[in-house]
Amino acid sequence: MLRPVVMTLAMLVTPLAVADTFVFTAIPDEDETRLQERFQKVADYLEDELDVEVRFVPVKSYAAAVTAFRNNQVQLAWFGGLSGVQAREQVPGSQALAQGVEDARFVTYFIAHESAGLEPSDSLSDNMRDLTFTFGAKGSTSGRLMPEYFLREHFGEAPEDIFARVGFSDNHSRTVSLVASGAYQLGAVNYTAWENEVEAGNVDTDTVQVVWESPQYPDYQWTIRGDADERFGEGFTDRVRQALLDMDDPELLESFPREGFIPASNDDYTIIREIGQELDLID
Amino acid sequence: MQSLALQDAVADYGATRVLGPLSLTIDPGERIALVGKSGVGKSSLLSVMYAQWRDREATLLPQDLGLVPTLSVFHNVYMGGLARHRAWYNLATLLRPFHRDRQTIQPLLERLGLGDKARSPCGELSGGQRQRVAAARAIHQGGGILLADEPVSALDGPQAEVVMQMLVDAFPTAVLAMHDLDLALRYCNRVLGIHDGGIVIDQPSDRLTTNDLMPLY
Amino acid sequence: MSRSASLRVSLGFIALAMVCLAFGDFEISTHDPWQELGRIFLGLIAPDFAAVDFLGEAILRTLAFAFVGVGLGAAGGFLLALLFRHLWVRTFCAVVRAIHELFWALIFLQFFGLHPLTGVLAIAIPYAGIFAKVYAEILDESDPQPAHTLPRGTDHVSGLVYTRLAQAWPHVVSYTAYRLECGLRSSAVLGFVGMPTLGFYLESAFAQGAYGSVGALLILFYLLIGTLRWWVRPRLLPLYLIAAPFLLGTGLPIVWSNVSRFFTQDIVPAPLRNGEGLEGLIPWLGNLLVNQALPGIWNTLLLTQIALVLTGILAMALFPLISHHFTGRHGTGRLKGMLGHIVLVVMRSTPELLLAFILLQLWGPSMLPAVAALALHNGGIIAHLVGQRSNQITLRQDAPRGIDRYAYEVAPRVYGPFLALLFYRWEIIMRETAILGILGITTLGFYVDSAIQEIRFDRAMVLILITALLNIGVDILARRLRNYLRLRHSINRQSC
Repeated sequence: MLRPVVMTLAMLVTPLAVADTFVFTAIPDEDETRLQERFQKVADYLEDELDVEVRFVPVKSYAAAVTAFRNNQVQLAWFGGLSGVQAREQVPGSQALAQGVEDARFVTYFIAHESAGLEPSDSLSDNMRDLTFTFGAKGSTSGRLMPEYFLREHFGEAPEDIFARVGFSDNHSRTVSLVASGAYQLGAVNYTAWENEVEAGNVDTDTVQVVWESPQYPDYQWTIRGDADERFGEGFTDRVRQALLDMDDPELLESFPREGFIPASNDDYTIIREIGQELDLID
Repeated sequence: MQSLALQDAVADYGATRVLGPLSLTIDPGERIALVGKSGVGKSSLLSVMYAQWRDREATLLPQDLGLVPTLSVFHNVYMGGLARHRAWYNLATLLRPFHRDRQTIQPLLERLGLGDKARSPCGELSGGQRQRVAAARAIHQGGGILLADEPVSALDGPQAEVVMQMLVDAFPTAVLAMHDLDLALRYCNRVLGIHDGGIVIDQPSDRLTTNDLMPLY
Repeated sequence: MSRSASLRVSLGFIALAMVCLAFGDFEISTHDPWQELGRIFLGLIAPDFAAVDFLGEAILRTLAFAFVGVGLGAAGGFLLALLFRHLWVRTFCAVVRAIHELFWALIFLQFFGLHPLTGVLAIAIPYAGIFAKVYAEILDESDPQPAHTLPRGTDHVSGLVYTRLAQAWPHVVSYTAYRLECGLRSSAVLGFVGMPTLGFYLESAFAQGAYGSVGALLILFYLLIGTLRWWVRPRLLPLYLIAAPFLLGTGLPIVWSNVSRFFTQDIVPAPLRNGEGLEGLIPWLGNLLVNQALPGIWNTLLLTQIALVLTGILAMALFPLISHHFTGRHGTGRLKGMLGHIVLVVMRSTPELLLAFILLQLWGPSMLPAVAALALHNGGIIAHLVGQRSNQITLRQDAPRGIDRYAYEVAPRVYGPFLALLFYRWEIIMRETAILGILGITTLGFYVDSAIQEIRFDRAMVLILITALLNIGVDILARRLRNYLRLRHSINRQSC
């Protein structure tokens, strides 16, 4: 009677990970289904281009993505501006490979529930005071770092002092749904994520609308560890960069959504590091 | 075996002296009955003896028996022989007794009328049955001298006789605290009467009758 | 005298909670909380078992982590119990059990990453601390007489096993089995930080509003715990324990250099790491204390006190659900009692973190979801135990009925044990309160989570240690109170 049980159990044991699999991750900035779909396609694409086994590993937080990268459990990651700076700081020699065309001039949208009574405007408005406000994840560039920076710049105060309540939603999809439900009156969201949600029909644009668009700043990028060549062969880093730059399948690009990828360097993100230090998010 | 001796032994309960100082020598083959009122210090005297002679293969059969209620009758008896085996053997026995130990212990249980109880947990037995298990453990343990505190107090006539006979057969040398004077005189060859923490009677049993012991009570 | 003392203490706690209420934030900020609740409810009555691709795997991993974690914890705890008379062992155990499983997981995540070892150790370590304490108590309560009669020359192992352990065995088994239930809850909750257990999928399903999947996952979880006693059989246990380590999955390989890096660099306070010495350390520490630790401690204490009192009120209100003095013993009474049991089982098998997470979605972020979650879970546990206790009472035949029976006959009799239980849970409530911070409520866990999100483990470690000290402090206070009120019941074994 026990035999079938034991056999079933034995079959469920996953095989040991193959030694040199190229593993990558991404910050969990949107719904998991969307991430899984997006990055599984990327994994398949990279596997074809690079001739090594490529595996995508989902993580539960921005910090977990940085930690996995730092711990050499993943070698490549799709980071936000801030998480990329954090990761490269932790892993000497690692470099930003490529960014989306949009990432060189990224913006944050402030979105408001109708109950806030805000109208779209060119600048942050004093009417925002004493509303409830949600950031995205604590480690997000477009959902936390930059909005906090712009808020402090405009109001000269910490967010907790400007708003009646400040929360962290954990990802952009949830920011959208929290503001849409009225749980928060105002939220800061990555503009591509917002457009994704609108396009997918997940947002009732009658109850929630964009009320402010931030100035531009650099954001997402692919970052690879410095020891990738050592492990996967001479020139591997360049091949990965080339593969990313060559990505032109519209279906694949649309899932990000990016028009395409362009080269990026660590120096492109100096401004992010400075702001991170200013807000005491980086030592 | 050599003679055993106590020299100026005492027992205190808190600040109160309950026993001694007293001195005593026991020769091989002596079976001593301790008699006296309850609370007079018989148990204390046995404890003192056990503390002194434990290293000389004294076997203790205490009044509260020292059985493990969660273990079976077999295992409680087997515990008398723990020191004769290695740890792994004892642990294995806990899971499943070896044939030869069952062969040794089963006849003992049969004679004590516990033949069908080998697998029962001790906690489920009656007081009389438990006392017989404790006696079996002491017998299985063996040793140079038995120190038993009221070993048959919970047993009725015929059963008490069987157990007393088995104990004295197994231990030619013994000290037994007894409340049944008739049994004490018949199964022991020397009687110590305890009173006020000291020995007031020390006689071979064939020179005493139960009446001689009455003043102790 | 002692009655009025417990009354005074109770009223004191209630007054304190009222004061705390004034300082706390209890607003429902969501627009339409009931609509959301309705959707969750629909998900529960119409669960979608097909929607979760990895349902089987989630269950299997949840079980595997629980078995391996609790198994290792029990083994380690037993060895520690044997050394429990040493002060350093007791201190060590107090510290490791004062740190919540999720904090342990967050720590191990930093250097083992998403490797099964992270989840296993996160359960095994705090459980070992708890097991050690309880096993030591159980062993101490065993009758010393059998050990006294052992033949001279008996080896230590045989002596221990045949006398003290043999006596303690039934209690050890029942307590360990109970902890296995706790382990399943812990294992499920570890999913919230990335272990591949039920919580992982539950969090995703919630985030995506997939309430059919949420319903399916929750129902499976209750089934798993509700049926525990039928499939966890002593004879099957070795099989489970042997199989479990192979069912943990592989995760990502461990890089051992990360471990030494964590201990030699990551957790060294930044000023020391950067060679600023003590001059740098003091402002660093001061800053951390003033801006994070103190607000965290304040909110943790506030929430704990309110949750504690609410737990007590709920427990005293709900225990009649399973007390046959109120449900009756026959006919419909048995049915009522059974329904009561189901209510309490659901309440206590839902981990606080999970409840708080659900309520947060419903009511928006404030202290309200946290207090409600803590009170529901802990109230369910205490009501269950107090109800059992009340069933041991025999009332005279002409005892009053209804509310008079409650107020004059039953409540006064169970109040002492109830208070003892409540104080035992005080520390547990506080530990959970702290951890709820990772959901965004500004207790200590919030600041720990922030520090980890900022990749500043030095700060996280200091905050975790402060949390542990706070727990130990409350534990000591609770013990003093129990002694003061002469509440001595060996019922502290019922604690997750």
